[in-house]
Amino acid sequence: MNVVGCILSPVIGFVVGIFFMGLFRIMMARIHWRYGPPLTQPIIDIIKLFHQKSVSHGLIFELGLFLSLAGSVVTLLFIPIGNICPLNLAGGLLVVLYLMLIAPMGIALSGGGGSNPNISIGISRKMLLALSYEVPFLLIILTVMIHYRTISLVNLVELQRASGWGIISLPLAGIAYFLILPAMLGVRPFEIAEAPQEIASGLKVEYSGKFLALYYIEHAFRRFIVIALFVNLFLGGAGEPFTFVLKMLVVFIAGLFINAVFPRFRMEQAIRFNWTWPTLIALAGLIISMIWGGYG
Amino acid sequence: MDRNVLTKWLKQPQKMGNKYSLWAIYFCTGCGIIEVPPVITSRWDAERFGVIPVATPRQANLFLITGYVSLKTLKAIIRTYEQMPEPKYTVGFGSCPINGGMYWDSYNTIKHLDKYIPIDGWIAGCMPRPEAIFIAVTHLWTLIDKEMANGYKKYRAKYQYYRENQEKALGKLAWPPLFKTDNGNE
Repeated sequence: MNVVGCILSPVIGFVVGIFFMGLFRIMMARIHWRYGPPLTQPIIDIIKLFHQKSVSHGLIFELGLFLSLAGSVVTLLFIPIGNICPLNLAGGLLVVLYLMLIAPMGIALSGGGGSNPNISIGISRKMLLALSYEVPFLLIILTVMIHYRTISLVNLVELQRASGWGIISLPLAGIAYFLILPAMLGVRPFEIAEAPQEIASGLKVEYSGKFLALYYIEHAFRRFIVIALFVNLFLGGAGEPFTFVLKMLVVFIAGLFINAVFPRFRMEQAIRFNWTWPTLIALAGLIISMIWGGYG
Repeated sequence: MDRNVLTKWLKQPQKMGNKYSLWAIYFCTGCGIIEVPPVITSRWDAERFGVIPVATPRQANLFLITGYVSLKTLKAIIRTYEQMPEPKYTVGFGSCPINGGMYWDSYNTIKHLDKYIPIDGWIAGCMPRPEAIFIAVTHLWTLIDKEMANGYKKYRAKYQYYRENQEKALGKLAWPPLFKTDNGNE
């Protein structure tokens, strides 16, 4: 086990996640014809939140938040960032699949401690949304596993370097992943669990001060994980962290354009969308890759 | 604006953070709702000053009360103010919260809002232009810099005065005192 990588990987995740948050706000502002905040605005917000007085709602409220943060950090350790992959297991992809569920569960647990009616609506929406995007997500992962005959993320990256990017050999799975990307990130067309205008920002309604800061940091990690997984599965990973972050930036900006111009779905519209188009495309990709047989 | 001066950030991170990250909760009691949306959207973009709207008082540190305050909304205003985490700043927007404005002889509105919760700054006018919010924000920066925006400390220190005024206007309050008062339990 690589100790330096275990420290370096979360640091990269944090810095890049916060940088993406700042970039997100600037680019959203420019698309909306506004000037926008400075790039450092998320850091300013987090500094302020850590210096604020915060209200806790008991032990579960605090522990659930730490559980989700820990879940995100541990997931990050299994994802290769360029050549940095501290926990390089033979079954990395399956581990990531299970560990990615810890973060929303922790947030749901923590929110439940807050006992606000808006939170319970937010939790039910978040869980339903997770249920709706997990179906195409599992199909996509299955397609990738069948095509490359491996469940190790590091091996996947190496195989793609030999045979070309995954998005070219598995175009349908790549498109399906890109379609569920906003749902996995919880941004605009699928911003259902945190709708500020409908349910007073839902899940995070009771968070204040340092708890809200931890919530934002967890969000930054999650954003990094989901996009990094896309880059590793379909854009061939990278040999070094810098190229990797550059590829992530491209995916992130492409996703941001969808986020900036679309209004929010209703709950049943979101589920109907996730269970039709991404699921059908992913299923077609799975069947094609099963018929054609895998690589190697 | 000293947002990019790194030495100040290292010296006083709390003060600088409070200055440049004002998350506002708008209490649009009657009028004033027309002036706020252009401020936060693309016409006058408040986000370039770090001011963004939030949906819940738990996350806000700037409280903007626009328009007249009736007795019924005063109750909600007090509860919202008490839920906000410290440090918190309040700004009264329009002439009605200052002295009653055109409702100066109404039986059901509050004439002086600063008797019930501490106010850090006023924006006079009926209605003020949306740009006035930015002038208020920059003035608030100056006040935070000189540590004069200490309404939340005043609320803590003189809680009994405020609580008495609130009870005089609203009768018996349904919630217990936030801080210790002399003539009651906590």
